[in-house]
Amino acid sequence: MEYKTVLTTCGYCGCGCGLYLEVLDGQLVGAQPCKTDSVSQGGLCIKGWNVHEFVQNSERLTKPLIKKDGQFKEATWDEALDTVASRLKKIKEENGPDRIAFLTSAKCTNEENYLLQKLARAVVGTNNVDHCARL
Amino acid sequence: MKAMQARVRKLLEENKIDGFIGLKMEHGHPAPFMFSRENLGEMETLVVGDVRYPLNKALLKVSGQYPDLTFGVMVRGCDERGITELLKWNQLHRDRVIPVGVACSSELAQLCECYKPYPSDWVVGEKTEGIAKSKRLQKIEGMNQKERLSYWLNQFNKCIKCYGCRDVCPMCFCEVCSLEDRNFILTGKLPPENPTFHLSRAVHMVGRCIDCGLCEEACPSNIPVRTLYKKINEIVKEYFDYRTGESSEGKSPLNLLGEVTLELSDVNK
Amino acid sequence: MAKEAQSVPGFEPKIIAFLCNWCSYGGADLAGVSRLQYPANTRTIRVMCTATISPHHILKAFQKGADGVLVAGCHIGDCHYIKGNYMTIKRVAVLKELLRFTGFQEERLYLDWISSAEGVRFAEVIRNFTQKVKEMGPSHLRTTY
Repeated sequence: MEYKTVLTTCGYCGCGCGLYLEVLDGQLVGAQPCKTDSVSQGGLCIKGWNVHEFVQNSERLTKPLIKKDGQFKEATWDEALDTVASRLKKIKEENGPDRIAFLTSAKCTNEENYLLQKLARAVVGTNNVDHCARL
Repeated sequence: MKAMQARVRKLLEENKIDGFIGLKMEHGHPAPFMFSRENLGEMETLVVGDVRYPLNKALLKVSGQYPDLTFGVMVRGCDERGITELLKWNQLHRDRVIPVGVACSSELAQLCECYKPYPSDWVVGEKTEGIAKSKRLQKIEGMNQKERLSYWLNQFNKCIKCYGCRDVCPMCFCEVCSLEDRNFILTGKLPPENPTFHLSRAVHMVGRCIDCGLCEEACPSNIPVRTLYKKINEIVKEYFDYRTGESSEGKSPLNLLGEVTLELSDVNK
Repeated sequence: MAKEAQSVPGFEPKIIAFLCNWCSYGGADLAGVSRLQYPANTRTIRVMCTATISPHHILKAFQKGADGVLVAGCHIGDCHYIKGNYMTIKRVAVLKELLRFTGFQEERLYLDWISSAEGVRFAEVIRNFTQKVKEMGPSHLRTTY
């Protein structure tokens, strides 16, 4: 029997509100705003209040899926990355780099997002970069 | 602080409780945590301060999972009122909760305008006198109808519908919430229907609101919801002579048919 | 945003009347059968008991632009379900105080007991309430949403 809270940062947008994830026997049972957080000062939006829900959700994807014959099939990471790389390469060669866009995620760190836009601009050669939480 | 740590340690060692829900100082922040016999070594980190968390809500979650165990919980005046009401609403079992009291500092009592900032028994703090009449209530009651209307319309229009007031509320334990009924509150609309959203929640606070004020602290838009619920408590006191959480006798007036004490002339003033 | 609450020429208020099946709806029926004249501003919603009317319904009626809401049930002691109206009067009392505090003109909400024998009184209640709401002018919520 264990109940504890884990201090973390909300992964839903760039605000970075501080929150506690409530853990009861290894299961996430709730989220609470961190009252003493200097950024959010004890407030959260609706996404932050429900941030615990996706982590252990049974519908969460844990393996990459590749569509084959109109059906999504589980695949290995190597297979998935190879597919993405080869297809992107093909599109770039055939239609030019501006036919490709990059959408980055609030669930990544700043540094990871930086790397992705670097990949978009320096490797692929497009400025089509956007972010899911561009506020 | 030391007195609280000693009391909790004693309760755990004597097997009076199986866990104690309090605050633990970690990474420089006080955080909700359950102290138990397995982590007695961490008792040094138990803290008491002016930072408040909905510990009763955590207690509901833990005791819901372990209904046969007894839990201690840190309570202030408001939390104790909450436990009294939660017992009446059958959310907790009387023999399964042992509150350990903290009397609030006079600063906190002033800030909350709390009428009873201390529980019936406490191990930390000193008793400070409560505040009989809230100044923020008086301020709004002093306005005329048009001023009140524009004040509340403007306040409610700030709502971003985060449901924080409900999610943090230690008295909100319903499994189905009418504020999530899509026939009642339209979805995909900000601010939520003004004033239906806020007034419905206010009506639901009748006989429930223990005036802990966590709702207002959690509100990212700084809507003075606490003032609204303070008014609800005043209405309940005035009409039904019921003070939420004060006594274990009697039930909330809207949770019980009872006898009729009002007349039409009291209502259609 | 908030319209001036005063008599507007030619203004016809929209009033939602929650009537209980056993008494007030009977009263309305009697008023009709007796061919009594009363303003046609009310939209009647028949409910089995006034205790089934949650404050949500009243608030929602106002939110949708009703200028007035009338709740009418059996006299205390005459409730078909013995004590249903005990709850109604408590709920309406709280809601009216809350509406007053928030400036939403609690006079727009009116509670009365009308038995099925009181056809004349039913017409009178509707007449008086319609007149009162007419004088108050359109509801503020008509323009905000």
